[in-house]
Amino acid sequence: MGTYVIRRSLQAIPLLIGISIVIFLMLQMTPGGPLASSEAGGGRATAERTERLREEFGLDDPLPVQYVNWAGGIVTGDWGTSYNTGRPVLGTILDRLPTTLLLTGLAFVIALAIALPVGILAATRQYSVFDYVSSGVSFVGVAIPSFWFGLMLLYLFSFRLGWLPSSGLEDLRMQHVGPAALWDRASHLIMPVAVLSLIATAQLTRYVRGSMLEVLHEDYVRTARGSGLPERSVIVRHAFRNAAIPVVTIAVLMVPELFLGAVITESIFAISGMGRLFIESADLRDYPVLLGILTIAAVLVVLANLLADLLYGLLDPRISYG
Amino acid sequence: MSSILETVRRAPHLGRRSLLAVLIVAALVVAGCSSGSSKQSGGTALVAMTQEPGGMNRLFNDQSGSFLSFWAQEPLFVALPDGSFKPVLAAELPSEQNGGITNKGKTVTFKLRNGITWSDGKPLTAADIKFTFDVIEDPKSSALPPAAYDLVNSVDVVDELTARVRLSKPNPFYLGLFQQILPKHKFDSTAVTTDHPQARLPLGTGPFVFKDFKEGDKIVLKRNESYWNRKAHPVRLDGITLKITPDAQSAISAFRRGEFDTVFFVTSGDLPDLTKARDDGEPIMVTLQKTKSHVEWLWLNQSDNGDHSKPHPVLGDPAVREAIDLGIDRKAVIDQVLKGFGTLNGSVFYSGLAATEIPAAPFDPKRANQILDEAGWKRGSGGIRAKDGVRASMRFQTVTGDQTRELYQQLIQQNLKSIGVEVKINNVPSNLMFGSYQESGRLKRGNFDIMMSRDGYTVDPLEEGWAANFTCVQVPSKSNPGGESETHWCNREYDGLVKEAGSSVDQARRKQLYAQAAQLFARERPALPLYSSTWGWTWSNRLKGVSKEYFDGIWRGAGDWYLAG
Repeated sequence: MGTYVIRRSLQAIPLLIGISIVIFLMLQMTPGGPLASSEAGGGRATAERTERLREEFGLDDPLPVQYVNWAGGIVTGDWGTSYNTGRPVLGTILDRLPTTLLLTGLAFVIALAIALPVGILAATRQYSVFDYVSSGVSFVGVAIPSFWFGLMLLYLFSFRLGWLPSSGLEDLRMQHVGPAALWDRASHLIMPVAVLSLIATAQLTRYVRGSMLEVLHEDYVRTARGSGLPERSVIVRHAFRNAAIPVVTIAVLMVPELFLGAVITESIFAISGMGRLFIESADLRDYPVLLGILTIAAVLVVLANLLADLLYGLLDPRISYG
Repeated sequence: MSSILETVRRAPHLGRRSLLAVLIVAALVVAGCSSGSSKQSGGTALVAMTQEPGGMNRLFNDQSGSFLSFWAQEPLFVALPDGSFKPVLAAELPSEQNGGITNKGKTVTFKLRNGITWSDGKPLTAADIKFTFDVIEDPKSSALPPAAYDLVNSVDVVDELTARVRLSKPNPFYLGLFQQILPKHKFDSTAVTTDHPQARLPLGTGPFVFKDFKEGDKIVLKRNESYWNRKAHPVRLDGITLKITPDAQSAISAFRRGEFDTVFFVTSGDLPDLTKARDDGEPIMVTLQKTKSHVEWLWLNQSDNGDHSKPHPVLGDPAVREAIDLGIDRKAVIDQVLKGFGTLNGSVFYSGLAATEIPAAPFDPKRANQILDEAGWKRGSGGIRAKDGVRASMRFQTVTGDQTRELYQQLIQQNLKSIGVEVKINNVPSNLMFGSYQESGRLKRGNFDIMMSRDGYTVDPLEEGWAANFTCVQVPSKSNPGGESETHWCNREYDGLVKEAGSSVDQARRKQLYAQAAQLFARERPALPLYSSTWGWTWSNRLKGVSKEYFDGIWRGAGDWYLAG
């Protein structure tokens, strides 16, 4: 097991290097360089100034040199400075990270909290009204584009009914003490978390249901029932434990997906997380920040894959890592 | 907190473990919220900001958001709607009479008001003015100074409160210098870059103090408790919080629901809906600028596809330019497309100091046809005119993606068709239109016939070089790639008028010269003004004390704002 972890971690290194080269080159290929906005003549930057900035940012170096400088910085903790604010990239990203973690964490917990009971129930009552309704709803959930869902929620609950605030994470007018603060924070989170968890919930529900159905027809479940165990115990202790194995894999792989989903959610609800930072930086062609966020996303995807594989082994003793 | 406990206790179905969980979550959330307590005297105004700047120091950032830096950074002089200036930090307007202008306008002496302090209590002195100029001049600093500083040779400290500015030639726009001053005591060197804390949240002398800038979230300003100008501006608000809300439509919807006190900023396209909402009784105020603002121009190319040795085959004929001018139904554009939110304008100088009233050409297709007939443009196939084998058929372009513009482009297309001039709408992305000469920008290369964009809203035609844009030296070419002229027009008489107006310090004489230049421009028609957009501001009824005292809108008056109820 230990050697397996080490081997997989080592394998991740060339993978990450490959990804970093690809994202670096792809950004270089996008039209309009990082100084496009000031070159367009709209701003006050003169030609000499643009020239000086190119030098300062090392934009005239050959691409391989630029890449090595950047990648070296990533490893040593110097992620560069934002073209826009002049602040260090790592600090900028770390400032935004907690908000995104809060959103994705809540969305993940809620997705699990809904998907597990609904999926199990739907499977044990296959072809019941509950099963049809939950399947229908989860189909719709997978199909709805989340930005559209977000805008509809915003329109209905904020602009029409006026029940929920439309932006940010706190009411900037109120004193944040006591239960009112609790409600304030919660009311700001309801819609973003709903939007972010929508697809994850829908997908997970379908996986849980499918996985449970497969297991429920196995012999050992029939044996458990036959030996007189209470139905609840059969479902939870015998069936679900086995059905959970593929579900865990899917759930772990969903974490990076949720993280990327925050790009849309945070933009709709004006929340200052990493997702918003990504959009803003793309608008401003702030390459160092974009590269920083993409690097984090890449690491996250690789880590999630590794974690999923490891959990698989832990949950299923039949799998051994040789 | 007690009421949560109460609710939890009364919920018998919750087990002890879940009760504990609820309490922990509650505690975490409450702890996570800041418990800022301030006295409830003036309240905090909440302003939605749709564009987040990289920093709030206007000297280092030219994005629209940093425009509001004047809440902390005060200027020497502030522009009023008529283009005149009023001293703010300066004690008086320099003039030849008071000895402020000497050496035939090439030396200007600025005197600071006595007793002004930075918000940290340190006195404001002439050394700060000199330091600001040194930062602008330092090639290692990332200051983005306005063009007005190009003419400044040196700045010297005469005494504590007096700074002398030497100009390479007389610059009547000297009052526009030093819209921001940097506090010398906050810097170690003049090589100030954008990562300096002062470039992000500048210390100022103004009614408010920058406290916090949470990127992507908010910018917090608090009242300057020791504001030097309390007598004139009491500063009743406790502070202003700028909430960053990137989606302009959401920001306006949230504002109308009362989530914000005002929105920085609304565009003319938002004004019809906002005005209607106000008239329907929503608790908001909308005020529209009475004078003209940002004019939409049709740039008529005066070169043959960038070749300046030949006139444009069609637009080079003054008769065609006049006929187009008369052939466009501007009133229909304003009434039908802009829902009345626009005004007619016929003058190249329409705002501020040099505002010259020239009526827009009347809509007279009959006369337009007559002019073209007389000039020898004969109707040919499809009713399109031609002369000497050249068809009156041209490209008509603007930046892609603006639906309102596309609507009136079609209107103009129909107008012109009825006088036998064909225009083909073929819009381009903004970088193709405005790109530099090296990037083959269409305007710079003269690779267009009629292009449309907004420009020219300035306090003084010297600001951003608006008047100079149309002079011969600004015609872009291979040897002059930095030229700014959109029209590639060259007229020595215009050049002479603008040059004299740009170097005289006699403001009355300058106005006269610009008026002459504007008349000439309207006769020659290198560009046709389409309409002047209506500019406006909106704020909630609970925000009081809002007025439009200054050239650039309601924003500078925040020192007089307060919240009702």
